Amino acid sequence: MKYKNNRIGSAVLACGTLVGMLLLSATARADDIPPLEERLQLCAGCHNPDGNSVIPGNPKLSGLDAKYIARQLSDFKEGKRVSEVMASIIPMVDEKEFKPLAAYFSKQKRTDGVPEKADLVAAGKQIFDEGVIGTAAPACAGCHNEDGSGSNKFPRLSGQDPTYVKAQMLNFKNAVRNNDPKAVMQAVAKRLNEQEIEAVAEYIVTLKEAE
Amino acid sequence: MKNILLIIFVALFSLQAGAAAAAEAYTPKVYGKKGYVWDEMTPERVQVLKMGGDVDRGKDSFRGCRGCHKADAAGVREGVYPRLTGQHASVLIKQITEIRAGIRSNPKMLPFVEDPAIAMEEIGDIAAYLSALTSVRENGKGAENMSARGKKLYNDNKCYTCHGKNGEGNAAKAYPVVAAQHYGYLIREMKLIKHGTRGNSNPGMVKAIAKFTEADYEAVADYLARLPDYRTVVVSK
Repeated sequence: MKYKNNRIGSAVLACGTLVGMLLLSATARADDIPPLEERLQLCAGCHNPDGNSVIPGNPKLSGLDAKYIARQLSDFKEGKRVSEVMASIIPMVDEKEFKPLAAYFSKQKRTDGVPEKADLVAAGKQIFDEGVIGTAAPACAGCHNEDGSGSNKFPRLSGQDPTYVKAQMLNFKNAVRNNDPKAVMQAVAKRLNEQEIEAVAEYIVTLKEAE
Repeated sequence: MKNILLIIFVALFSLQAGAAAAAEAYTPKVYGKKGYVWDEMTPERVQVLKMGGDVDRGKDSFRGCRGCHKADAAGVREGVYPRLTGQHASVLIKQITEIRAGIRSNPKMLPFVEDPAIAMEEIGDIAAYLSALTSVRENGKGAENMSARGKKLYNDNKCYTCHGKNGEGNAAKAYPVVAAQHYGYLIREMKLIKHGTRGNSNPGMVKAIAKFTEADYEAVADYLARLPDYRTVVVSK
């Protein structure tokens, strides 16, 4: 008998097992979830370190509502929102990372954008502020505000990449994107034609985040 | 003993039958179709009226409506979208629930007011918020002042019976405020009501405006559009 007392022996064993389990789980955690700074590098490849993507077609994430970003990430994960690029990236990211990532990007300041077709900006402003009466398309400003700043319910639009906005609007129009919780964007986009969508996108990029 | 058992059985059976009836889907009854009753208290309307409304919550819920009715809820001057400011909450609840139920036909508004865009719990809040608002922006009026002729038509056809001497409607009976509404909207809705296309026409009103000519619609609409906000009118007793 190595131990004088069986009780002490089992206590030592129990402690040893517990410490071992804790160590194991700690290493497993570190393997699965990298520190935020490291994970951000994955996002930065397409969205820039501060979330202000400069690649046409890629969305700016800066200044978006944190809950909106987190919801998009989980929708990508669950296949409720489909994007070829995000579909290949999102399996690498753990659900637990969504909240800190969203918080990080929501705190970044949105940079100003430049229209691709400046001659469409005026027509886009008309639709953004007043809607299209004939097809009863509501004004974008109603939900997203006149300055495109959005709210906790509707995402910020100001300075967003026009190629991205146009693509998303067409996706809503054709119900390719249908993760808008109230199906409201699909209803709106269906009432705009492609030219109107393009004009609105060209106006949105000119909107600036307030100081 | 046998009697008691029988009573229990009957009671249980009728309870079940009652529950089944309540769970049955509500079928809308539209104007012009068999069984239509104007101002029917639909199950949703009963519930919404019971819940009451909160002005602050209503302001938040109204956000999605601003794209058409504008941030100040005063609609569009041309009358494509009506003024909602100062409308009786009971009227707003009636119209919203009837649009949601498929009684009032409004395909343009429907996607923005049906579930999940607006939840039933939000309807009373929105109505409370709007009924407390006042319009600052000028409303749409006729090209020329036709209010003298319009007033005569309004009185001759006893429109005031429901809509009031000052166009103030009747909150208790869910008759809408028509004073200071947009001219274009008033004309459009009178026609939709007369032709039954609105779906929730009041048969009494259909009869009252049955002989209206184009000029009559214009005159009445202009008269009502030029009336002041009914809440500013001092009523002498």
